[in-house]
Amino acid sequence: MSGAIGSLVRPGRDLRVDVIRGLALWFIFIDHTPGNLLGGATLRNIAFCDATEGFVLLAGYAAGIAYGRMLEREGWLRAAGRVAGRVGTLYVAHIFLFVVFTAQVGFSAAALDQAAYLDELQLDPFGQEPYRALLEALLLRYQPAFLDILPLYIVVLGMFAVVLPLVARPGLLLLASVALYAATRGFDLAPPSWTGSGWFFNPFAWQLLFAIGVALGRADPARLTRLFPWSRWLAALALLVLVVGAVTLNWVWHGPVRGFEAPEWLAAWMADVDKTGLHPARLASVLVMAWLVGHLIPAGAAWLSGPFAAPFALMGQQSLPVFCASIFLSFLGRVAIETSAGWPMQVAVNLAGLAALVAVGVVAAWYAEGSKRRPPALPDVAKAATR
Amino acid sequence: MMAMLKRMGGLLPVLALGLVLLGGASARTEPPGCGAPQEALESGPLPGTAAALGRGELRVMVVGSASTQMGGTSGPAATWPERLRAVLGARVAPANVRLEVFGGRGTVAADHARLLAEAGPAFRPHLIIWQLGTVEAARGLPADEMSDTVQEAVGRLRAARGERTDVVLMDSQFSRFFRANADVESYRDRLRLAAAASGAQMFSRWAVMRHWAETERLDLERAPRAGRVAAADELHDCVARALTEFVLDGVSRARR
Repeated sequence: MSGAIGSLVRPGRDLRVDVIRGLALWFIFIDHTPGNLLGGATLRNIAFCDATEGFVLLAGYAAGIAYGRMLEREGWLRAAGRVAGRVGTLYVAHIFLFVVFTAQVGFSAAALDQAAYLDELQLDPFGQEPYRALLEALLLRYQPAFLDILPLYIVVLGMFAVVLPLVARPGLLLLASVALYAATRGFDLAPPSWTGSGWFFNPFAWQLLFAIGVALGRADPARLTRLFPWSRWLAALALLVLVVGAVTLNWVWHGPVRGFEAPEWLAAWMADVDKTGLHPARLASVLVMAWLVGHLIPAGAAWLSGPFAAPFALMGQQSLPVFCASIFLSFLGRVAIETSAGWPMQVAVNLAGLAALVAVGVVAAWYAEGSKRRPPALPDVAKAATR
Repeated sequence: MMAMLKRMGGLLPVLALGLVLLGGASARTEPPGCGAPQEALESGPLPGTAAALGRGELRVMVVGSASTQMGGTSGPAATWPERLRAVLGARVAPANVRLEVFGGRGTVAADHARLLAEAGPAFRPHLIIWQLGTVEAARGLPADEMSDTVQEAVGRLRAARGERTDVVLMDSQFSRFFRANADVESYRDRLRLAAAASGAQMFSRWAVMRHWAETERLDLERAPRAGRVAAADELHDCVARALTEFVLDGVSRARR
């Protein structure tokens, strides 16, 4: 089975990127299933950044490679058209997930027979003004909890379509991107939202991470190594910063350790690290990790194409369908954990969730392969299944 | 038959006494605060409260959203603020506890900050219990704004009253439905940081109630419909008891 999955992984790509992207997708599934005990083991518990940062950075990386090549071969209009098509797909996927989310909330509310003691939860806009809420959702001005990554991706990719020619001039692209980021943080720019709730991820700030990813994806690896060379001291310092960050973060969160309280100035600084506007600390955190991973894991490491990494590589390569599936599955996982949060259910939700994500990756890879050379060849997985 | 019943009748008072003793014993085995986990009942020092108790009168200001009002209980007297007045009052007697409740259903941190600024100077509280975060999370309001509002309000209070007023933040009630349908953890993280940044204490009602639900001690969401009001009453009473332990822990730390 694992060999069959390995055969579907597209060769000739930087497998590190695919594997880490796959891991990020898995973390997104876990973090979107509140009550999941594995949620205590994801990146967000020990770092300023979490899987979202990794996902956006690597989405930019992949887009830089794919659309950069397309730009060279087919010109701006064609490449921008492809990006726009992708945006359309993302939009439809988002609306589909919105409908699923609404149905799930309704189901949960009925199943748990809501008591008056939490009547504030019934203040959700969909219950009060359903028609308006539907319109606002279509305009992306209303984003319920956990449905905030795709709107970000849609807007960022839309902006990318416009500035696509800059892919050939990464310096200019980064300059424009940093300028927009700085203006967004400096002047509190934000896309409009309904009910004043704001966007959970401000796309005008988060585009910077995507642009950095694009620049990294387009850059010549040898030149990157020259620009950001390996240094043992720097790496030790980076690791130290990450470890100190993890310890202090948990110290402030979980209160005094043996009577020692975290100093107020430290907590005050941490309270200022916002996710919405991609605080520089979050940005630095993910970039330092990317640098470490880039150097510590060799591109040709054998385990990257081994049986444990292959499913994640496959998920990472088929990121859009796997992402949508992970959000969809997290709804089911939520309903399941609502019913029972004991060990059997935890194991069942996580095993079934991961297996389903891998299965979506397999089907998507097979489909993509098939649409390239018809008639589609039956992959080994399907052969094994029909045997 | 009659003789047997008579003999049984003679035994009944003994049996009843035994049951009472047993019941009393099992009630005594539960730690104070309805068996809430110890780490959730540990507070930093509360110097304003300790000083006020030393003088004989503690003024408590409760600010919050729906659970401070009715919260599904049998009546205003059964809500946790009223139970806190009674339970804490009994524990600190002969000192007197004066408690007033501000806020209302659907109110958010900014509303509470306004109430603190308006009603605070007249009431001059020694202890503020500030319950917030539920409405923000349910509506997806910006967590950054909530955090800023809390830090500013507590900062103003400390500038005006110094160590004479302690602030205890209280987070949402635990609910599986809420957890599944709102990004509660993000808001709880921000509240914890805001408390640590402003020198306020954090009483995690969420953690305490989750413990009660997981240990099947008290679980409002699983309570049968008919017994729900009674369960809400018990829940509010237990929240008040846990909060009392938390406050007394802070008082003893301030006196050390």
